Order: sequence, then structure tokens, then C-alpha cells
Amino acid sequence: MKHSGRGKIRTSGAFAASEVMIALTLFSSVCAGLFMASTSLQRCFAATTDFAVNHADQMRISDYLAMDLRRAVSVTAAQNDVTIQIPAYYDPSGNPQTPTLDGVGGVHYGPAGTVVAVHYYLSASSIFRQQGSDPAAALAMNVQDFIFNVTDSGKVVSTRITFNPIFRSGGASTAAIAATAVYNTTLLRNSRRDMVSGVY
Amino acid sequence: MHLQKQERGSVLIWTIILLAILSLLGAEVMHVVSAKYVNAVQSAIWQESLVGAESGIDLAVIELRKSLYPAPNHAWETWQNSPSDGVVSHGLVTIPNAGLAGAAMKIEVSVDAPATLIDPKNGWQYYRIRTIGTLPLNGPARANDNKQDTRLRRLSLFADRFVAGPTPPDFVAHASRRTEAIVRPVSSFDAAIMSVGVLDLTNQDIVIDSYDSRDPAKSTNGLYDVAKRQQNGDIATDGNLIDAGNAHIYGDVATNAGTVSGAANITGIERTDFYQEPIPVGAPNWSSINPTPALVNNSATLTASAVQGSWSSRYMLSLVSLGGNQTLTLAGNPDGSPTYIEIYVTGDISVLGTSQIVMQPGVKATIYFAGNVDITGNGIVNSNNQPGDLQLYGIQPTSGTPHVNLGGNGQITAAVYAPGYAVAVNGGGSNGHVFGSMVGKTVTMTGVTNLHYDEALGSGGLINNYKIVSWFEDTR
Repeated sequence: MKHSGRGKIRTSGAFAASEVMIALTLFSSVCAGLFMASTSLQRCFAATTDFAVNHADQMRISDYLAMDLRRAVSVTAAQNDVTIQIPAYYDPSGNPQTPTLDGVGGVHYGPAGTVVAVHYYLSASSIFRQQGSDPAAALAMNVQDFIFNVTDSGKVVSTRITFNPIFRSGGASTAAIAATAVYNTTLLRNSRRDMVSGVY
Repeated sequence: MHLQKQERGSVLIWTIILLAILSLLGAEVMHVVSAKYVNAVQSAIWQESLVGAESGIDLAVIELRKSLYPAPNHAWETWQNSPSDGVVSHGLVTIPNAGLAGAAMKIEVSVDAPATLIDPKNGWQYYRIRTIGTLPLNGPARANDNKQDTRLRRLSLFADRFVAGPTPPDFVAHASRRTEAIVRPVSSFDAAIMSVGVLDLTNQDIVIDSYDSRDPAKSTNGLYDVAKRQQNGDIATDGNLIDAGNAHIYGDVATNAGTVSGAANITGIERTDFYQEPIPVGAPNWSSINPTPALVNNSATLTASAVQGSWSSRYMLSLVSLGGNQTLTLAGNPDGSPTYIEIYVTGDISVLGTSQIVMQPGVKATIYFAGNVDITGNGIVNSNNQPGDLQLYGIQPTSGTPHVNLGGNGQITAAVYAPGYAVAVNGGGSNGHVFGSMVGKTVTMTGVTNLHYDEALGSGGLINNYKIVSWFEDTR
């Protein structure tokens, strides 16, 4: 009885060190798995959210560029830096001006030769749009990885905007970055003043 | 037993916590996706509304083009009125939309003709077209989560941004875009050669180039100078075939999805997207004319007037038939000051042999014809040497294809607009020069060595079309 009773106490009263170690190992593995799954899920979620936000930013920048390109009379393009000149349609009060003939088959708003420059540029991880002397407005923030290119083909101007997706911790591959490209091809409605065109 | 209950409860709590986390995650995903979905839909509708606004410009140009046709042309019939200075014609069109759940697109168009947009050089009126394209928003009237999107698209979620005053009870959230375009008239002589159908330059080493008689840098004393040759000798067809015959074309060549053969010597570009329906010319509708003579079949003199449109210098002839050494003189003032004459020939014009039509200095002649025209080499003497001073218009035939044959080894200085006629310039030789512009149903040049297009013709003659010269999206 005494022997068997002592044996029962040992069995139910404590675990052997090896049992504790095994339990801890299993528990750690499960916790690690949960932690990794949770982290992965969060990173995936963050990357997806980032992708969606970046895509919305791309669309916005592309639409802004297209809007100004449609009414452009000249375009000066470089990577992440584009200047588009548009007619001086508004007077200083912001109201439309009456057009006048320029004597060579066209019209102009305001004094002859007056245009308004719209400048798009990437600075301090934001992409800005500045119209004339107005304060620059940030079209998109935290977009230091954005690249916007404008290809000037004369009557037609194309834009291409890419960013770096963050689905992989090692950074996006060139192919992955290229796959984010949003393209826009815009027909310039006005005759350009910065180049001779015999067609349009 | 007690310990087992506690273990079950723990699992339940962990499960609830996990589910709560996943639910929060899912809700956040739904929130992001929903916002982006609304953004995408609003963006699509905003883009579509620009299509509506630009369609409004097309609608206005269609009415303007209608107004160029002979009466009755039914221009502006469904609009409020005809546009003029201070008078705005307004049209409203609602069209079903194949996409966006069939949401109807509304197009508002206003056209006016400000006095400030009259070209003082030729009296041509430019028109201002303002349009608004509107599409209702299909999704919820929810502002975007990014204020720059809101500033860009300026959606009318709770009030119409273009209409002042209280919001009507039947207001529907929508996207609207507003544009303003200025269109200018386009001359019937906008190109060196324009053909409705085949344009054949054959294989005669033809040269087509341009000059500008108004510009000393592009002409000498208002005349063509090969040293100042310009490269706007454009040729075009509404058809799909141009046989350039290896002509030296200093300009562009355009077809309607067609081909150009013999194109080795074209300096400009080749386009395949050209189509411009030429406006047919109707018979002059003059209230009074100079009744004599009624025809010309011998040497005669018709007198021009210093007053453009004067009845005394408007003649209606049943035919002009000259032969031998007969001469039809279009007489002006002795001092060569500008005078004007208009002649409507209801039958044929035939100037054969060594007969001639002689325009005295200062005379600016407009000749309408309804029959065939045959004029041999040097059959027209345009003393001013300005093609804009002799404009020939073919009245649109009701049937058949009459012809215009200009021929001989000599010079022709004229602008011919006959989109219902087979126009042929024959003869040629070392002295074969045509100064002006040719428009025909078909145009054939045989043996003519040179055609020099005077760019000044582009701001004169009949108006044949309207072209957008300024476009602006008003983003207020």
C-alpha cells in the first residue's frame, strides 16, 4: 500500500523535466506558428492595403495628368517632373475670360501669349501639382517609390506610373514593379505651341 | 471534472478572440475594398461624363455644318434658336447609356457667336461651344476617402455644382464635366488637292508644293518663288486610293483607310484617317441680277463692280462658248482697284482654241457653273496672278458626273471647287503650272508639271467645315 500509494502521488503530483520540456516545445511551436501566421496575415493585409491605396494614387495622378494634357498647349517632360502649359482660361478672380482671335487662325484667353504652367513633381516622398503661382497640392503622399514617366509623341502624350509593391520582404522584382504600371494615352485637343505640326 | 470544464472554457474564449480578430480584419478589408469600389465606380462615371461633354461639341459642329448646306438644311431646328452675338443657342440631349446600368447621359450644349470672334480679314465667324456632360452616380452618394480625389472629380453629391440656388427635391447625385471649345471655319480650299474619290497624279513627274502670297518670306511680290517653297502642298481623298505617280509632293498625303502608290517622293506624312464630306454648292439665290447678256458665244465684256454683291455685277448666263480668237473680258476699274463680279453659268463653259477669258487687274471673280467646263491652255488670264481672285464653283449635279477639263501647256491661276465633278488638269509641258487648289469628285492630273498651292486660299472661299482651334475643360 505504501509503495503503491507513493507511486500514485509521484504520477499525479508533478511532471518530469522531460515532459515539461516537451510541453514547452510544443507550446512554443504552436505560439510561433500562430505568431508567424498572424504576422504574415498582417503583412499580407498591409501589402494589399498598400497596393490598393497606391493604385488609387496612381489613378488620381493619371487622371490629373490626363486632364491637364487634354487642354495643354505645350509639354515639357522628364521622369517625375512634368510641366504642362494650359491656356489662361481664368482671370485673376477665377472666372472664364472671353477668347480673342490671335490673327493666325487660333484664339487665346487673356493677353496674347499668356499661359498657365502646371507643374507635377515628386518631392519629399509626395507627388505635387502646382498650377501657376498657387500653392502646390500634394496629390499623393508616401509615394517615394512612385515613378511617373511621360512620353511625348507630339499630338499624343502617354503616361506610365509604377510603384514598388511590398508583398515580399526582399523587395519587389523588376517584373513585379512593371506589373503595377498604369498607362494613359491622351490626345492633346489644342494645337501645340512648342512644336510645328502640319497635320493637326 | 472541474479542470476539464476550465479547459473547455479557455478554448471557447480563444476561439471567440480569434473570430473577433478575423472579423475585425474582414471588416477592415470590406471597408477598404468598399471605398475603393465606390472610388472606381465614381471614377468611371466621371470619365464617362467627359465623353458626354465632348459629344456635345460634336453635336454643335454637326449643326454648324448643316448650316453650310444649301437650304433647306434644317440647321438648329431642334435647338432654341440660331446662335449669334449675344444669342446663345441651347440644346439638351438625353441618350441611353449601354454601360453603367443603363444610366441616361445628359448633354447640354450652348453655342454663341461673339462679335470678338469675327476674323477681320475675311469676316468669318468663329463659334464658342460650351457643353456639360452629366451622368448619375449609381452607387451611394459618398465622398471619397481622399480629398484630392474629391477636388479632382468634384462630384455633385448633394447639390448641383453648376446650378445656384436651392437643391430641387428630385436631385440625384451625379458627375458633371464642362468643356468650352472654339471652332473656326475651314475653307473649301484647305488643301492643294482634295478628291472625294480617286486622286490620280499619273506618272508625269508632277511637283506639288505651296507658297503664301501674303507672306514675303514665303513668296516674292505675292507670287510663287521656288526658292521660298513651302511644304503645305497637302493632297487628300475621302476614298482609299491615291496614285501619287512618284510626284514630288511637298506636303502630307491622306486617304480614308486607303493606300498611296508611287509615294517615293512625299516629304510629309501619310495619313489613313482622313474623311471630310465636302459641302455641296447650291445655285446662287440672287434677288436681282444684271440681265444682259443672257449668254456669251462671242467676244463680250462683263463689268465688275467696286461693291461686292452689287446686282449690276451679277450675271446669269445660259452658256459660255468661245472659240477662235474670241475673248470674254471681265472688266474692272482702269486703276486696277478691287472690283467684284459673280457669274452663274447654268450650262456649259467652253473656251477652246486660242480664245480666252481675260480678267483685268483688280477684278475678283466668282464663277458658278452647272454644266461641263472645258478650258484649254492659257484659256484664262488672271491678271492679278492670285488664285483667290478667280474661284470656280461647280453646282452639285442632281445626277451624273459632269467634268471640268483644264488643259494646255500654260498657266492656270484659279481655285476650283467642284466636289460633284470629274476634274482633270491636262496638257502640261515645261510651262505647265497650276497656281491654286483643286477639289473634285475625282481629280486627275495628266502631264502637268507643277501645282503650287497658295496657302492664302485657306482663309478665303466658301466655308466647308468647322475645326476646333481651342479646347478647355472648365474645372471650377
